[in-house]
Amino acid sequence: MEKLYCSIFVVDISQNPEEVETVSSRIQQLIEDHGGIVKKINRWGKRRLAYPIQKKTHGYYVEIEFTANSRLNIPYTLEQEYRMNDRVLRYLTYVVDKKELIQRAKKAGEKAKIEARAAEIKAAAEARAAEEKKTEPAAEETPETQASVAEAKADQEAQKTESSKDRVNAPVTATEDKPSTEKKTKKEE
Amino acid sequence: MLRGKKKRICRFCENGDVFIDFREEKRLVRFLTEQGKIVPRRTSGNCAQHQRQLAQAIKRARHLALIPFVSDIPR
Repeated sequence: MEKLYCSIFVVDISQNPEEVETVSSRIQQLIEDHGGIVKKINRWGKRRLAYPIQKKTHGYYVEIEFTANSRLNIPYTLEQEYRMNDRVLRYLTYVVDKKELIQRAKKAGEKAKIEARAAEIKAAAEARAAEEKKTEPAAEETPETQASVAEAKADQEAQKTESSKDRVNAPVTATEDKPSTEKKTKKEE
Repeated sequence: MLRGKKKRICRFCENGDVFIDFREEKRLVRFLTEQGKIVPRRTSGNCAQHQRQLAQAIKRARHLALIPFVSDIPR
């Protein structure tokens, strides 16, 4: 059966920092020679170990994901290699199960959503600022930018809550009124 | 005696997590005592399923030196 594996190992770089490359390329080669396909290589970088291993306090973490047929028994060959290589402080090879994939997809989705929302807000704010600059070039600068950001946010909320086009227009005009009152209060002050 | 205690809800269930990743050691540390022991279910309030997953994740993270086995050793 075709399975997705994940292998993480910690390399000692206290003597030679290039050791990371030699070890990871060797592991990659081993996987490919035995009929696996390397999907992803993730270098976590140099990290402090939670406890000293062979009197070393730091290690370089590398994560390799690969798919292979379970009959090929690649984890076993990898383990032999890890054991032989004394630069490898720790290793862990495991089968990635469905639950982990679901969780990863969920996390990626959430991240994308947050990023998309941030981009939307930014774009809307910029568009607003540009529009206002065109219409009122002589207006005060600081309150305007603040108002534009507030307006953009309000606009977005309105768009989310109301679906019909007629309704969207109404809150926009309502939000446009608000900043003007704010400006007035500021001028009065 | 237990009746008076407030009932806790599993935080992973609340969050909707399906899998507990051992790579996120900051999340795991919350479920360790100061010494580095795994917090029991009766204190953390985790459900059985998530406590099992958590134990698995903590053990993997310990092996990779992401979190300590024991942390009361003075450095």
